[in-house]
Amino acid sequence: MDFIYDIIRGWATAGYLPSIFEHTFMVRGLLAAIIIGPLLGAMGTVVVTKKLSFFTQTIGNAAMSGVAIGLLFGEPIEGTYAGLYGFCLIVALLMTFVKNRSRLSNDTIIGVVLAQVLGIGIIMMIVVTSQFNIHQVEGILFGSLITLNDMDLITLAIASLVVGILFSYNFNRVMLGGFNPILAKARGLSPVFLEYVFVTLMTVVVVASLKLIGALLVLVLIVVPAAGAQNIVSNLRQFVWVSMIFSTISTTFGLLLSGLLPIPSGAVIVLVSSILFYGSLLLKPILSKSGLSQGEV
Amino acid sequence: MNSPGEGNLLEVRDLSLTLGGNTILDNVNMDVKHGHIHALIGPNGAGKTTLIRSIMGGMPHKGTVRFFFGDNGRIGYVPQLLEFDHSVPITVFDFLFLMLRKSPLFLSRRRPMRRKIQEILAATECEHLIDRGVGCLSGGEFRRVLLAQALVPRPELLLLDEPASNVDEVGARHFEQMLILLKQEHGHSILMVSHDMQTIMRIADRVTAINRTVTYDGPPGNLNLSDLFINVRPEMA
Repeated sequence: MDFIYDIIRGWATAGYLPSIFEHTFMVRGLLAAIIIGPLLGAMGTVVVTKKLSFFTQTIGNAAMSGVAIGLLFGEPIEGTYAGLYGFCLIVALLMTFVKNRSRLSNDTIIGVVLAQVLGIGIIMMIVVTSQFNIHQVEGILFGSLITLNDMDLITLAIASLVVGILFSYNFNRVMLGGFNPILAKARGLSPVFLEYVFVTLMTVVVVASLKLIGALLVLVLIVVPAAGAQNIVSNLRQFVWVSMIFSTISTTFGLLLSGLLPIPSGAVIVLVSSILFYGSLLLKPILSKSGLSQGEV
Repeated sequence: MNSPGEGNLLEVRDLSLTLGGNTILDNVNMDVKHGHIHALIGPNGAGKTTLIRSIMGGMPHKGTVRFFFGDNGRIGYVPQLLEFDHSVPITVFDFLFLMLRKSPLFLSRRRPMRRKIQEILAATECEHLIDRGVGCLSGGEFRRVLLAQALVPRPELLLLDEPASNVDEVGARHFEQMLILLKQEHGHSILMVSHDMQTIMRIADRVTAINRTVTYDGPPGNLNLSDLFINVRPEMA
C-alpha cells in the first residue's frame, strides 16, 4: 500500500495535486472515494427505481448496533468487520423477508426498524464500552477519514470489486424486477430472489463506505446522485453513467474540501452531491428545450 | 404441428383456488386449442386474472394445468395493468433490452441491439417508439410495446389480460387487427381476458365465461349474456 501512497503523495509534492494529499490519511480517503463513488452511483439508480432509499438508511443506522456487537465479541474498535457486516446483513435480509411475507408496506416496515436499530445501537455501545464516547458515535454517524486504515481500504476495494461484478451481472434482471415484478416473473425471473441479491450487495457496499461517508449520510450519496441524474437523462444507460459521474465528483471533491475545511468528510460529500442535484434541476429545462432530455420521461 | 383448432394446446382440469378462506375459483375446466383466439370473460371479480396467473404458475391451486408443447415452449404474457414509476428514465429500447439481454445495459453497445429491437417492435407496428420514454406512451402505444415483448422469443401461447383496457376505440380496433394478424399469418394461439363483447364476437374462435366456475364454454355465437351471471357469488346475489 505504501508504494501507491508514495506515488500519490509525490504528485501532491510536485504540485499536480493539492498539498493536502501529502498526508497519507487523505490519500487513503482519495482512493476510497474513487473506488466507492462510481459503485454507489450505479447502485443508486436501482435504489431509486425500486424505492429502497430509506431501506438503505436503515442499513446505515444498523451499523451502530453492528459496531457494538463487534466490540462485544472482542473485535477492535477500529475494525469491527464481523459485527458490522453480520448485523447489517441480518437486518437487511430480515426486512426483505418480512416485506415479502407480510402484508405490511415497505414504508411501514422501514418505519418500525429505522429508529430502533439506531437507538438499540447507542444503548448497546454504552453497555459494551461502559461509557458514552461521543467520538466513536460521531465517527460512525458522520464518517471519519482519520480512522480509515489500510485494512478498511483493502476491505473496501475487495468488496467493491466483488459487488461491482455481481451488480453488473444482475443489473438487467434486478432493474426489470424493480421496474415491474409481474413482467419479470412472466420472463421466468424471481423478483423476490433478485431483491435478496440486490439488498445483500447494497448492504456490503453501504457498510464498506461507512468510515468515509458515515451511517447517517450514506443514504444521501446513494440517492442524490441518482436523483440528480434522473433530472437530466433520457434513457437508462445515461441514467447509470451520469449517476456514477455525479457520485464520483461528490466523493472526490467532497473529500478534497473536507481536507481543506474542518468538517467531517461525509458532510462535505453530501454538500457537493446536493449542489450537483440542484444544478441538474436548473439544467433540466435547458436540456428539455434543446431536445437532449425528454423531460417528462 | 397441429392445424388451427386441432388438438388442445392447454388443458385446465378441476382448478380450484382459495385465498384467505374465500373460494376464488371453483372446479374450473377449459381447453384452449392450437391456433385459436380464445376469450375468457366474466364479471368483475369473477377470477379471470387469478385464472390467468394460475395458468402461468404464479398462484397455488388445486387441479391441473397441462400444456401440450415441449419443455422449451414459453408463454408470452401481456399483463392487465403495468404499474411502474413514470419518473424512471427508461425508454422502449431499454425496456426490451432488459428483457432480452443478459449483458448489463449500461456496459453494452446500443447499436447492435437497436436493429433487432426495431424488428421486434415492427411486429406490432411500433418501431417508431423505440426512443420514447415508457412513461410517455399512451395506453394504446404501451399495449403494442407489451405485445411486442411477449412475442419474443416466439411463445407457444399468448396470454393477454384485458389487452384493450385504457385504450381508445381506434387503438382497440388496431389492436384487434393485430391479434387477427398474429393468429392468421403467424399461427399464434391466444388466450385473452376481455370485457369487450363486440371484439369477442368479431375475433374469438371460442369463449369461456367464468364467475368463480365456468358458466359457458363454446363458440361466441351461442353465448347469452345471462351465461355471465349464473353462479353469482352468494354475497352478490
